[in-house]
Amino acid sequence: MSWLEDDRGTALVLTLVLAPVLLVALSGVLQLGALRVAAARVRAAADLAALVAVNDQDDAELARSGALRLAADAADVAREYFARELELSAPLLDGSAADIAATADVVAYPSAPSYDARTGARYDRPTVRIAADVPVRTPIFGALVLRPVTMLHVVAVSSPR
Amino acid sequence: MKRQCAAATLALLLLGTSPALAWDPFRERDEPPAPSQEPDPAPFIAPPPGIYYVTDTYVADVVTSNGPLTTYTTTTTHESTGSYARVLDTVGTGTSSAFDGSAFNGRRALGDGRSVAGTYYENYVLTDDGFVPVSVVFFQDDAELARLLAARTPPPAITPPPPSAPSTTAARSIAPACCAPARPIAIPRPTPPPAKPIRPGISLLPAGASISNIEVLRGRAVALWPRAFVDDREIPVLSWTVVSGDAGQALTTAGSGGVPFRTSWTRLAAPGAVYQIVFRIEVDTPDTGHRTVDAVIAVIVRSPALQD
Repeated sequence: MSWLEDDRGTALVLTLVLAPVLLVALSGVLQLGALRVAAARVRAAADLAALVAVNDQDDAELARSGALRLAADAADVAREYFARELELSAPLLDGSAADIAATADVVAYPSAPSYDARTGARYDRPTVRIAADVPVRTPIFGALVLRPVTMLHVVAVSSPR
Repeated sequence: MKRQCAAATLALLLLGTSPALAWDPFRERDEPPAPSQEPDPAPFIAPPPGIYYVTDTYVADVVTSNGPLTTYTTTTTHESTGSYARVLDTVGTGTSSAFDGSAFNGRRALGDGRSVAGTYYENYVLTDDGFVPVSVVFFQDDAELARLLAARTPPPAITPPPPSAPSTTAARSIAPACCAPARPIAIPRPTPPPAKPIRPGISLLPAGASISNIEVLRGRAVALWPRAFVDDREIPVLSWTVVSGDAGQALTTAGSGGVPFRTSWTRLAAPGAVYQIVFRIEVDTPDTGHRTVDAVIAVIVRSPALQD
């Protein structure tokens, strides 16, 4: 029996070689899943904030003309609720929810039709649009010589229909 | 002989002549009678324009509150006392008049300080010297929604006549004490004019602008106020009823003029469709009589939604 035919220890070698590869792949999958969860939560936060802001209507204008028109503080309401919703996902964020909401591009279009200078979209109803860059922690990506913080771009648009 | 013939001929000619006067076409008519020069026993005095015989006598000013609605009216009694009256001025709410301060019963003010609407009448008695004015009276005819003023001064249910009026009796003659004639002066109730057109309206506020259509958010509670107007002046609504249309989650589909129609819609209409709500509004005022009128409002129910 020559040494070439001796396969003792091959399992150990294979384990030592493949285990890190499998571990890296598994970590990447987990991190990617966590990132998708974070993205969904951030998107839900923006959507909910936009919906709440649209629900804030100008009662005086409604009494005067019978038409729905956003309240003057609709953008502030959207920003406030965006921060509140992000706060629920604070462990995932690379920064405070208030700061992220403060830097978000929140625009209220009280009357229609109107055009969004950022997206070029036309709105036929009073609309609230939130566009934000949300930094999310991705430590495993960082450990894998990737970006430790992943920026999520979220846009939420809401209007009464 | 020749002289005698000439004289006789001249005499005959003179006898046969007649006066050469101009022809008188009315020579056969009688002389017109000379105008009578008798003095006028009672000099004619032209009556004031618009004067008429009174059949209803002023009794008192009445302020009645029905919920948030305050109505300013004047009560009269059907009585003819042989006097006369005429309209001096008809004033609207808050409108000043040259006769302000001249009426013995004064002119009230609404809760917001504006003077009430109504009509000034001047009373006359017929004497040997003609129609002699004796007093001025103000017939108030107005209404207001006192809800907005309730926080400041809730109106009383029934108030006595204003201090400017003589307050000797609750139901009194209209003649002021300073110049009261021997008999009470009667004021006519204004002749019922033809029924004026009523303009119905729906508003979101008790004193807001009337709207014909409204956008509401799904599930949002709204209050609709059925209202009525005559000559751009609001008149009190006696009652209202929703006679057709989807009333949504309404608390009630009928009510008095002092309460709104409160509801909310939890279902959206079909795409492109709206809810047409028809209110039957009942009014009963001196201007309009007891009538009903329908008001329609289109309701578009919307819901906040996301866009891609």
